[in-house]
Amino acid sequence: MDVKRKVDIIRVNPQDWPNGTPTHKEEDPDLGYDVIPAERYYGEAFMKLEWDRIWSKVWLLGGRSDDIQEPGDYICTEIGKESVLIVRQLDGSVRAFPNVCLHRGNKLRPEGLGNAEHFQCMYHHWTYDLQGSITRIPDLDTFPQGCPPGAALPSYPCEEWGSFVWFSLNKDVGPLADYLSPMQEHLGPYNMDRMAWTRDITVEWDCNWKASVDAFSEVYHVQGIHPQLQWYLDDTNAQIDVYERHSRYLVPFATISARVAMPSAIPPAIYEIMVKAGMDPAEYEGRVSDIRRDVQIFKRKHGKAQGKDYSALNDDQLTDDYHYSIFPNVSMNVHADDIMMFRQRPHPTDPNKMFYDIWMFELVPEGEEWPERPKHKRFKHGDKSIGQVLDQDAFNLPTVQKGMHSDAFPGLWIGDQELRIRHFHKVIDDFIYGPDGKGPDDI
Amino acid sequence: MDLGLQGKKAILVGAARGIGMAVAEILAREGCDLAITARSEDSVKDAVAELSKYGTRIIGKPVNVKKADDYKAWLEWAVEDLGGCDIMIPITSAGGGMGSEKYWSNAFEVDVMGPVRAVEAVIPTMTEKQSGSIILIATTSTGEAMGGPQAYNAMKASLLTYGKQLALFHGKNGIRVNVVSPGPIEFEGGNWDMIKGTMEKFYNSQLRQQPTGRLGTPEEVARCIVFLASPAASWCNGSHLVVDGGFTNRTHF
Repeated sequence: MDVKRKVDIIRVNPQDWPNGTPTHKEEDPDLGYDVIPAERYYGEAFMKLEWDRIWSKVWLLGGRSDDIQEPGDYICTEIGKESVLIVRQLDGSVRAFPNVCLHRGNKLRPEGLGNAEHFQCMYHHWTYDLQGSITRIPDLDTFPQGCPPGAALPSYPCEEWGSFVWFSLNKDVGPLADYLSPMQEHLGPYNMDRMAWTRDITVEWDCNWKASVDAFSEVYHVQGIHPQLQWYLDDTNAQIDVYERHSRYLVPFATISARVAMPSAIPPAIYEIMVKAGMDPAEYEGRVSDIRRDVQIFKRKHGKAQGKDYSALNDDQLTDDYHYSIFPNVSMNVHADDIMMFRQRPHPTDPNKMFYDIWMFELVPEGEEWPERPKHKRFKHGDKSIGQVLDQDAFNLPTVQKGMHSDAFPGLWIGDQELRIRHFHKVIDDFIYGPDGKGPDDI
Repeated sequence: MDLGLQGKKAILVGAARGIGMAVAEILAREGCDLAITARSEDSVKDAVAELSKYGTRIIGKPVNVKKADDYKAWLEWAVEDLGGCDIMIPITSAGGGMGSEKYWSNAFEVDVMGPVRAVEAVIPTMTEKQSGSIILIATTSTGEAMGGPQAYNAMKASLLTYGKQLALFHGKNGIRVNVVSPGPIEFEGGNWDMIKGTMEKFYNSQLRQQPTGRLGTPEEVARCIVFLASPAASWCNGSHLVVDGGFTNRTHF
């Protein structure tokens, strides 16, 4: 690596934190060094395979549990060509249904959040209760064939975990817990249910959904597009772990990348970390290289008085980015005080487009009032800033997508720092090509 | 031109990096014995090793300028171990910062009392010798506002007044006191290196303000400091030299 200094990042000893988030480094699998075919990013046949064997088969993130607290609260979300209604039931459970009227196919609700006593189609007023059963068909006597079979919307499997609601379009899908494993053990120690929405944005991006997943699966790009972050995190000391389906990297924050010289003044972004922790950077007598550890010590000591329960987290988690990918489409930057996560959804018809959902949450200190939920915003690639770092992430993706189509570009040339991208494509292969693996003509 | 530095004894407060290191390097090359300091032991060790290659006597010990007693003890040690002091250049700064009252006490301790204590430590030996040269380091941010209202600029401004007073008061004893105000200076690990990486727009706006389209280097400032400090500048006393490549707008009318 092109570094200026040798940096030994001190990480917690896994034995010291037996009950928390696992911290030990997994052995890297041998996934080879083949080119990842570019056609996977634009081919319509591959897009169809993804739909048939991934999107319609696995568990998918639907929304946040706290958006549907009361019976009748619902989330209407879309995945590919399907629109899904997730509804809080009278008994407190959640159920999911296709958001489509069985009469002429109209959508029952527009995308977004709401509360309903029942769902009435706005076309001919067919009406469904919270469980999806038809309660009224105007002029039923003019339908000699009667109600559609079952007189109810079909149900999708729907469960909650980790303050989120998950659904699957596959009625035969296995339990959510099996699918998410081992993420529960990893993310459980964070107080995700005590975190409140701070941002809810959807951007239509001009790239394949996988180009976006790739973009958030490696820190190799920090030196390329986020030069300022080199005075905030150490991109040269990321720990990468890949699991059966999911993966992560652990990136030290509040420290200086080995790619740049160690400054003597506190960099602006690290200054902000200290202020947020409750420290006064002007009082700080240590060296810049000591800040990460000192922030950890400070938060450990003062967290409780600030109404923040860090007891289940290890010291590294008090500063560092524990970044998780939940297959297929969730990327989460998980921190002690906040989560910045992205849900990356395919476009229903165009492999060159996707929907990039930015969800951000912040820990609400004990005793403080839960802030008002921000309204969902939606716009197109480049129309509005989504913040300096994410704008930098977004900038190259349309040209990356264009390049995928070039006859001169066979596919992705992936290095060790991008192991998670290779693993992501391996999991895609597992779903698409099954246990026998790829055939000679498969991409 | 011979600067007349051969065999002189110089004390530098803050000389492990940047302008301070560049000054130390030139002084050592010109034949001066040096006493240097910095905050961390490792940096002092490295700097002493680096500077020793010129063959003069280089001594160094770490000290935190903010700790008055330690700092005074360091100054006493430096004067004694070096066997006197011909040149004193206190360079260490607490740097900028806004939003906490602590920045004012930091700047006062380091940027004001740092030089004051350094000067007081060497005035007796210089007076006795009827010869000496002191350089105080201010900044172009004293003459033109920059970076928002903060202690750094205001405290540095006090050195301009203090330097002149010293020059007038001690001139009769052969002691010259001059002030150098550098503009933005860039070097690896320095503030402007970090600003270039973290605040690219602001950095570029500063570049546009530079007639030559670049920032200065530590060596370019150091050469001016060393000249003013040297016997070659014997008729400079109480002067204020702005070394900024033409960065500031005001005329020194």
